[in-house]
Amino acid sequence: MRNGYHIVVCGSIVPDPLQTLEPIETPGGPALKNEMMLPAVLDPWASHALYEAANLASKVAGSKVWLVSVAPKAKLQQVMMTVAQKVSFELVAVDGPASGFGDAYGVAAILADEVQSIAGLDRSRLLVFGGWESASRGAGVTMQLVGERLGIADQFQGVDQITTQADGSFEVLERIEGGRHQVSMCSGPPALLGWATGNLPEPRNNPQVGMANMRTVMPALQRAKAAALAGSGLRFLSTTPPKQQRQTRIVKNRPVEEIAQEIVEWIGK
Amino acid sequence: MAAPHKQGEVVEKILFLAHVDESCNVLPKAVYEVLGLAIDVAAQMNATLTIGLIGENVDTAAAFIGSSGATRVLAVSGPDFAQPRYASDAAALEAICRAVQPTLVLAPATWRFSRVLPGVSHRLAGQADTHITGLEIRDGALTASRWYYRQRIEAVIRRDARPWFLLLESGCHKPWTGEPGAPSMEKMPVVIPAELRRTNVTGTRAPKSEAQTIRPDADLLFVAGAGWTKKQSDGKVHGEEAESLILRFLELSKASLGGSKSLVDQSGDNQAVLGFMTHLNQVGQTGATPRHPKGLSTCCHGEEPHVVGWRFIHERRAINLDPNCGWARGKADVLYVSDAFEVMKRVNELLATGSEKKEEATATAR
Amino acid sequence: MSAPPTSTEVSRSEMVVDIACVGFGPAMGGFLTTLSREIMNPEGTPQLESIVSPGLPLQVMCYERADALGFGVSGAVTRARGIRQSFPGLDAAAIPMAARVKSEKLVYLLDPIGASNRSVALRLADKLIRTFSWTLPVRHHALELPYIPWFMQKHDGLILGLGQFNQWVGEQLMGSGTVQIWPGTPVAAPLVENETVVGVRLADQGTDLQGNPDAGFLPGMDVHAALTVIGDGPVGVVGRQLDQEFGLPDGHNQREYALGMKMVIELSEESGLEAGTVFHTIGFPEPEIFGFLYVHPDRLASVGIFIPSWFKSPVRTGYRYLQHFLLHPYLWRHLQGGTLKSWGAKSLQESGRHGEPFLAGNGYARIGEGSGSTNVLAGSGVDEAWTTGVQLAEAVIELLEQRRPFTRENLQEMYVRRRRESLIGEEARIAGDSRNGFASGVVTGMLGMALAGFTKGRFSLSRDFQPLPKATSELEERYCDRIPRHELREIAQQCAEAGISAHDCIMDRCGWPRIPLDGKLLISHQDALLMGGGVQAPAGYANHIVFLHPELCHKCNPKLCVEMCSGQALTRGDDEVPAFDREKCVFCGACLWNCRQSVDGEHGNIEFRAGAGGLHSTLN
Repeated sequence: MRNGYHIVVCGSIVPDPLQTLEPIETPGGPALKNEMMLPAVLDPWASHALYEAANLASKVAGSKVWLVSVAPKAKLQQVMMTVAQKVSFELVAVDGPASGFGDAYGVAAILADEVQSIAGLDRSRLLVFGGWESASRGAGVTMQLVGERLGIADQFQGVDQITTQADGSFEVLERIEGGRHQVSMCSGPPALLGWATGNLPEPRNNPQVGMANMRTVMPALQRAKAAALAGSGLRFLSTTPPKQQRQTRIVKNRPVEEIAQEIVEWIGK
Repeated sequence: MAAPHKQGEVVEKILFLAHVDESCNVLPKAVYEVLGLAIDVAAQMNATLTIGLIGENVDTAAAFIGSSGATRVLAVSGPDFAQPRYASDAAALEAICRAVQPTLVLAPATWRFSRVLPGVSHRLAGQADTHITGLEIRDGALTASRWYYRQRIEAVIRRDARPWFLLLESGCHKPWTGEPGAPSMEKMPVVIPAELRRTNVTGTRAPKSEAQTIRPDADLLFVAGAGWTKKQSDGKVHGEEAESLILRFLELSKASLGGSKSLVDQSGDNQAVLGFMTHLNQVGQTGATPRHPKGLSTCCHGEEPHVVGWRFIHERRAINLDPNCGWARGKADVLYVSDAFEVMKRVNELLATGSEKKEEATATAR
Repeated sequence: MSAPPTSTEVSRSEMVVDIACVGFGPAMGGFLTTLSREIMNPEGTPQLESIVSPGLPLQVMCYERADALGFGVSGAVTRARGIRQSFPGLDAAAIPMAARVKSEKLVYLLDPIGASNRSVALRLADKLIRTFSWTLPVRHHALELPYIPWFMQKHDGLILGLGQFNQWVGEQLMGSGTVQIWPGTPVAAPLVENETVVGVRLADQGTDLQGNPDAGFLPGMDVHAALTVIGDGPVGVVGRQLDQEFGLPDGHNQREYALGMKMVIELSEESGLEAGTVFHTIGFPEPEIFGFLYVHPDRLASVGIFIPSWFKSPVRTGYRYLQHFLLHPYLWRHLQGGTLKSWGAKSLQESGRHGEPFLAGNGYARIGEGSGSTNVLAGSGVDEAWTTGVQLAEAVIELLEQRRPFTRENLQEMYVRRRRESLIGEEARIAGDSRNGFASGVVTGMLGMALAGFTKGRFSLSRDFQPLPKATSELEERYCDRIPRHELREIAQQCAEAGISAHDCIMDRCGWPRIPLDGKLLISHQDALLMGGGVQAPAGYANHIVFLHPELCHKCNPKLCVEMCSGQALTRGDDEVPAFDREKCVFCGACLWNCRQSVDGEHGNIEFRAGAGGLHSTLN
């Protein structure tokens, strides 16, 4: 790719995965109890997409990475203080809800609008990245809708790897049934990739990267305009946490032989 | 399925979508499950049922569902639709949907459809919901169950707007088992222009060994946790022993292999002690939520984010040295407080003896 | 230049800022809130110009170890005088979990079980209270004291969830865009050159557990700063290294600590407790252990205990004591049916002014609890810490405006003097010797507090705290009147062989009933660790607990660090050196002051270094 890619990553925040979640009913529909008090992280799939974007940008000179995020501003700000230390990107922030119960169609509309309004974005170099799922909505819908709204017909979901060629074309590995990957060659941007986990480790916190990012992150947060989600008629009749308690039998102080016997019998049943 | 259809309600028009698999001859198992559900829903709602098929060659596959009672069967076929490609799949499915004008579109959540149907819903000015685990008719209207927050909150949802696309998870219904037949199939010509051919699916790539992946058809899921890679009682890491114990167990038990996040993360950090584990094996909040009748967890703490990936594992047992680990808190049926190295070594010996005996018996019988 | 305990023979990236801050707690909140308001002019030009990057506004960086601001810190009741001054017209409702104090009680808890270790004098007092219960306000095995001494009162103060408060302050600060606060960034050491602190070194990443470079090694950056502000708390890595580097002022020592352990409980509908209710308790589960219950809005309550270093028992695991505390009839009537939402523990520096380090030197200043700001008479630390931060910020603003450098003399004049002459300085003086009596026991300690409090510090008892490695009794000495010596030895031996803490066995033997676990509020210690956020231990960082001379651990039994470890992260190792599991460490720092082995007679054998991760809970 001669001039590098323009990679726009769509991703928002989700409750820190270690928290216990409890649904409550509000006049505006279901929500999480103490939602604003729960610590948040960047959605794990979106994080992978961001790390992959940064990795790709570092390999292809002239590339640039944006992160477009719809989330409550105060929460987003906190999350950015961690994320911004990891990789370089420019933030496009929208002050809106990040609830899993929000409608994916409304989110996609906002995201697509924001992508389109990024100044200087070159469609012929555009790769839209995001998580193919999310830890809150788990929809697997939002990214496709963003792609459709942007008129991108080359879409990939469950992506674990992208390998680019000098002419701008690239090979994509997508997860399919049976633990295999589907291999595709795409002739070049624009394209949309919804990432699975990829294979990159989480980058270390690098204060220098953080410093550089802050020059744009803070103004972006200050500029963030408030957006309400447009509904598309999704109604929740009930939300309930699963009944997951089992009566655990704890087997202690038993010889290995007996435990092994019992396991083998159980497997064979 | 619950209450029957109420008089006076809008009559739904159901479109059931399926694709053939790569052999062009067979329909994936999930197709039969969702077909069974679609027939059931159509009957209860007095709705019409149309089938839409895509694939390179759909004739053989169509015959399998020929007696499903669908009013119409539409198909888009040809070399352009052989491989799952977003652009061509979307064009084909859009054409079928426009021809049928359905109010409800039911489809199995295969990788191919999960990739493309949400986009198609947008083109039809409809909405799609994914990961649906069940449908029910309440007060004459369709409701769907699905999980939010990665299997932590179960919701029952409804949409009034149509068309409503529902991608259904496997296990949502018992498979349809009707006789093959000869449906009258309407083949729709769909031309794929050059701009939709920018992507070429060149094939699939399987991991190096079959033993290394999540195998959805296995009866048992074996999950390895980071404890396998930690210092054992002698103060040393026994990576090689762990590898050989796990691989031998998989070989003997034909189990599917999963891993906790902390274990598979080590592969990304280039400190892989278990070289065959990758993120494809990850079970849990940020990994897979596989379905197996049984699951055996080893050297894994059983924390909530991991265990949400166990939601669809029916019987759960765990081996862990810590009697206070998460598994003990009502997450496993049985927790064996013991050294997994010791236990699995003996389990392997027992399984090996068992399979030798089986082989001997077979040989004698011959 | 001092050698920080990180790999030094690597090339490190460097950064130059004006002010580098270590730790984000209430003190740093006060400092940054005050400073940030003066950095920019309303029209967007710098009001305080950067020294290192002329033309730009003042460059201020704050580094916090925890993965997010406010993870895993405690609940508190505070008079909030300084906080309210910083936020005039503050509405408690704006801060999650905050409530105005509406009712406050000081309660003496009798021992309904008969298992606690009470002196003859206390037993006599208990008997008298029970005898005259018909005329005294004795209910539910507790005496509600009719009066709270003025110096302990928190009337009209605020009940805070400190995690939420810190987050809220952090939001205001980051929203201003004038200062940067970086969570998940442990600081390894101060950079010291020619007795001047010139900045800090961040922790190395991508190391093995011993700190050696490993895959993805990223050496910690050196952040050079004209001023380094240390607010990293009572067990802070940077603060303690400065204490080693520069020593403590003459006559000062840090020999009094306490472990605060608490739970946040969602109360049942029937609990009958109103938001704004405060109980301070004494007397149970052991006379030396103080307790508290603060009621937040939305039926949440913080309930906890303090285990002081002068509690001489060498087996003193906080968690079980906390459970017995919950079960005391006076509290349990309110708590029954509740659900545990989160749990946490933290060390408190209780030496007050006696533990005060040098508050300022060339290139650095100390604020907050680690600087001895806690008012040990009032039992109040949050507001005092906040205020020291505000005072330093005011000093820094003046120095910057006057273009004077951050020398020891200038900081002494502008900050230390300001602190001494302020109300909290005066109160700290009154409180200075108020706790001296606790060296001789709880009753003497209480009398000493009353004496110092009511005479405004003019009179106090004499001070005789032992160095911490000698602060606890031997097991046999402590329990010989309740358990025969040979049996004590057997218990200690058996527990050592089984690799478990002796505390549970000793408590059982002393007549403490087993805890009736209910899976909701009364749950196992490990379950509590997993609830309300759990502990994260990111890979690629060195272990932060180090046994300096492992051979000293061999002869140690019971091992105080294992007995006191809040998260059961320290266990008896196979080779007699305790094993450390960082995935259970909540960074309470108790091990640091609960070690009975010492080379220099003053400090224990454990070093508490820079570490990453910790508890992930903001419901705190």
